Amino acid sequence: MREKLIESLAESADPDAVSWLRDTISNLSVTFEKRPFYYSFSGVSRRFDKSAKIKGADDSPFDGWDEYRAARVALLLVLGEQEKTIFLETFFSVLNTADIREQIALFSSLQWMPYQDELIEAAVDGLRTNIVDIFDAIALDNPFPQMHFTEEAWNQMMLKAIFMTRPLHRIHGVAERKNRPLAEAISDLAHERWAAGRVITPEAWRSVIGFLDERHSDDIRKVAGSENPSDRAAASLVVSESGDSLIDLQESLTGELALIDSGELNWYLLGQTIEEQLVRESLT
Amino acid sequence: MRFFDSHVHMVSRTTDDYQRMAAAGVAAIIEPSFWQGQPRTEPGTFKDYFNSLIGFERFRASQFGIKHYCTIGLNPKEANNEKLAEAVLELMPLYICKEGVVGIGEIGFDDQTKAEEKYLIKQAELALEADLPIQIHTPHRDKKKGTIRTMDVLEDVGIDPSKVIIDHNNEETVKEVLDRGYWTAFTIYPHTKLGNERMVELMLEYGAENIVVDSAADWGISDPLAVPKTAALMKERGISEEQIEQVTYHNPLKAYGQSGQVEESDWEDSKGIDPAALFEGNTLLRGGMDIDTAMSQYLIE
Repeated sequence: MREKLIESLAESADPDAVSWLRDTISNLSVTFEKRPFYYSFSGVSRRFDKSAKIKGADDSPFDGWDEYRAARVALLLVLGEQEKTIFLETFFSVLNTADIREQIALFSSLQWMPYQDELIEAAVDGLRTNIVDIFDAIALDNPFPQMHFTEEAWNQMMLKAIFMTRPLHRIHGVAERKNRPLAEAISDLAHERWAAGRVITPEAWRSVIGFLDERHSDDIRKVAGSENPSDRAAASLVVSESGDSLIDLQESLTGELALIDSGELNWYLLGQTIEEQLVRESLT
Repeated sequence: MRFFDSHVHMVSRTTDDYQRMAAAGVAAIIEPSFWQGQPRTEPGTFKDYFNSLIGFERFRASQFGIKHYCTIGLNPKEANNEKLAEAVLELMPLYICKEGVVGIGEIGFDDQTKAEEKYLIKQAELALEADLPIQIHTPHRDKKKGTIRTMDVLEDVGIDPSKVIIDHNNEETVKEVLDRGYWTAFTIYPHTKLGNERMVELMLEYGAENIVVDSAADWGISDPLAVPKTAALMKERGISEEQIEQVTYHNPLKAYGQSGQVEESDWEDSKGIDPAALFEGNTLLRGGMDIDTAMSQYLIE
């Protein structure tokens, strides 16, 4: 992992910065000391370009990261090799004094860190932020919450992600970890939004599949009648995964259901479409 | 004209101040770590203070189109609480290499005690280690002796004078500080430090080379517009624009630019104020700018 990350960095970053990173990592691997670690973790900003993005292979977890994040995670991987007390002390010292970009790197690294049980609380607490980039570093493209969060923490994360209109298809375990209290809460949130004349991200309905009592079924009927194609696509996906319980909707969603059968519509593709729309809207 | 106020304690100032500073042409500022009017009793309050300098205060400034940098340090007054001082020294390495940290400061002497000297030396060594400029606070009492002693101590540690900005100079200290090759800063602060007519006289005598003018506005009766007002007075008294720009903009930029953490393109290329930006869910911008009379009285006595 570390070598892949550095190789990706090396493709675009300043060669002096990359060789500084390699030297620093090899020094820290031989003798790990806190102060040089602090200096190099922060000092990434003296050497790399924060606006430059790195390219990884398509399925690589770091594709699209900025250089600061990549270089800092590479350094955290060395920290992860240290003995437990040193690791935990250093990790928390750095986290408690981190600026925004440093926090993003720290939370992105959780999945590769040791002693993960000791880091769960920090991740749950990190999600209390209102800084979108920090929230995303924990919630999106990161298997850590799926692996470690209690149901309560998971549901808080999902609700906040829905609330903040984050791209849910990038949350690991979104299909596997759905549960009844979350489904109820999503329904409540949707009703609140509808009462205020607002909308809820269509991806939210994925988490009610399997808990379709009368109330949820009516929610899906409402969504199926929406003018927004993404709403109807989400309703069709719910219908297609709900056996006979929403059979009455099949007729009105024939077109969407055919796309599902042919593989042209699934939660991932729908999520991508919605995310692209959001990015476009934020640019105009 | 654009200004770079290299010493101002914005955590103690209001949004009115930010508005007036931006309107008067202040493009960038440095906020030195200092004491906050009453002694802190726990190292944790330093941590939160440092966190606010690299976090919320930076954001607050950005909301007014001002680029905010800081220096990190243990001030001499609180260096006398040795238990606290040790803990803060432990904390400092976590901050000094961060983005936008342009030096170690403000450090130096207050009462000129042994403890103050000890932590001045330790922090000078940190600056060497992290290759950062040093921002020096010179004492209010027994200033001349304290200033000379500061320079002696720094030189013993092996610090290059060209990487040190000595602040709060006056007519008594300026010559030796300049002669020894230090950046020589003057704080235009009403009543207790230096008025700007005296600053004009100093410029007429010593020129602009290695001279820096700042406000050190803080929680006391002070003036966050001290730099632009002094520039206006200098212009009125016939000092050339080139020299004015040197002491209010280019020199501080050059001195702190040695950190590699501040350059003109940081603000020249910036896209301006983002009124929709939030910091931890907080927004600041409400209402417009009200700046009409801000610059009408520029004499500071």
